Amino acid sequence: MSLPLKKQPGLADIMQSLHCFRIVAFMAVSDVRARYKRSVLGPLWMTLGTAGGSAGLGFIWSELLRVDAATFVPTLTAGLILWQFIAGVISEATVLFSRQAPIIRNLNLPLAIHPMQLLLRHLINFAHNAPVFFIVALILGLPMNANVWLALPGLFLMALNLLWLALLIGLLGARFRDLEYLVAMVMPLLMFISPVFYRPNYLPFSEHIMWFNPFSHLIEIVRSPLLGNPPPVFVVETNLAMLACGWLVTLYLFNSKRNRIAFWV
Amino acid sequence: MAVLSFDNVTVQYPVYNSRSMSLRNQLVRISTGGRIESEAGHIQIVTALNQVSFDLHDGDAVALIGHNGAGKSTLLRTMAGVYHPVSGTVVRDGKVATVLELGAGMDPELSGYENIIRMGILMGLSMSEIRGKTAEIEEFTQLGNFLQLPVRTYSSGMATRLMFAVATSTQPDILLVDEIFGTGDAEFQIKAKERMESLIKSVGIFVFASHNNELIRQYCNRFFKLEHGQLTEMVLPAI
Repeated sequence: MSLPLKKQPGLADIMQSLHCFRIVAFMAVSDVRARYKRSVLGPLWMTLGTAGGSAGLGFIWSELLRVDAATFVPTLTAGLILWQFIAGVISEATVLFSRQAPIIRNLNLPLAIHPMQLLLRHLINFAHNAPVFFIVALILGLPMNANVWLALPGLFLMALNLLWLALLIGLLGARFRDLEYLVAMVMPLLMFISPVFYRPNYLPFSEHIMWFNPFSHLIEIVRSPLLGNPPPVFVVETNLAMLACGWLVTLYLFNSKRNRIAFWV
Repeated sequence: MAVLSFDNVTVQYPVYNSRSMSLRNQLVRISTGGRIESEAGHIQIVTALNQVSFDLHDGDAVALIGHNGAGKSTLLRTMAGVYHPVSGTVVRDGKVATVLELGAGMDPELSGYENIIRMGILMGLSMSEIRGKTAEIEEFTQLGNFLQLPVRTYSSGMATRLMFAVATSTQPDILLVDEIFGTGDAEFQIKAKERMESLIKSVGIFVFASHNNELIRQYCNRFFKLEHGQLTEMVLPAI
């Protein structure tokens, strides 16, 4: 380890974690396997659950809101799938380090592998849910165009944003145990002020409020392309700004507190 | 060539009670300008190691002795790089293996074989290394077909056999062991001791925290006594 890195325990930790990607990937897959060990369909239950949820909600809400099911249901499906991904990462991040306490207290491994593992595990879940959207779009005859491919860089940007969020929330959650309950309380609220259940333009008044929710931007950058439109420029800008500011704050905190985490868990 | 040296190492850690772990009290503390800080704070700083210095080289087998809570486990974790000192420097050169609390990374839903891989990967072994060691772990644990069953179906003795076998299946330069003998049945204890002995012979530096004087005399050639975080080296028979 070179001298400048030694003074930056957080940065050094992240570099080492990248070298441990083999461990991260194996543990993420192994965790998913363990979770569905005794079920026949395994992770496909997630796929079915998402399909059922979006079908039920989709048709009722499109009646209630008097909008065309063929455009509304795919919107809702994509929103629900993305929300599950985001909410899964954020709520589990609060207990990220304390749940891995046996590993942290006994093995000299970098700590950033834990948020990476969490993100990867939820990406695997996401990959199981994503086909639901394409099936729904196919059934309802949603026109697909080349913009759909823009969802991939969007997803990448969103994942990088979720990574710093997971690390930051994990760090704070290890120190302040109330965070777990606070996040559990706030997440449903944030879901209602995000474009999960509706397109932003359905809400003439509250649209501004919705864009104050950072998760709205994370959802929109992937969902707009999925629905055939390039993401709005300000959404891309917000995502990039969040990425830069978020990582700066997280790295600063992680640098100064990284070596305390083993005592906290 | 393994090296492990401490120079004036001090390790302190905060003990938070439920009050200071809570966000509300931190906020109250800020908003009241510290007036009720004594009420809201309650963070106690424990100095677990106080200006500890020593140099260990190849061939050193160190016994750590001291009362419960004297800092033995903290010292082992600091040696392993899990805990970081607030002051002083730790120089560590060589591959470290720890036998502290067993079973880090074990998942009860997965089979014995899958858990061997999980724990092995976390210890830094490659897939092919783990495959190479599996036969020997099978042999040592004598769990037979149970290795195909989920670990949740094991008795605690069986789980200990598995965890111990994996933890001792590396070839480190520095081996750090917390008191772990005394678990499992008589037959296992004899086998565990044999396995430990051959591992100890193969490593460069061996550090062992124990209350068992007999074992200490048998394995170790240097003796560190910890008292309230202070370390003193002793000559053998004084124990």
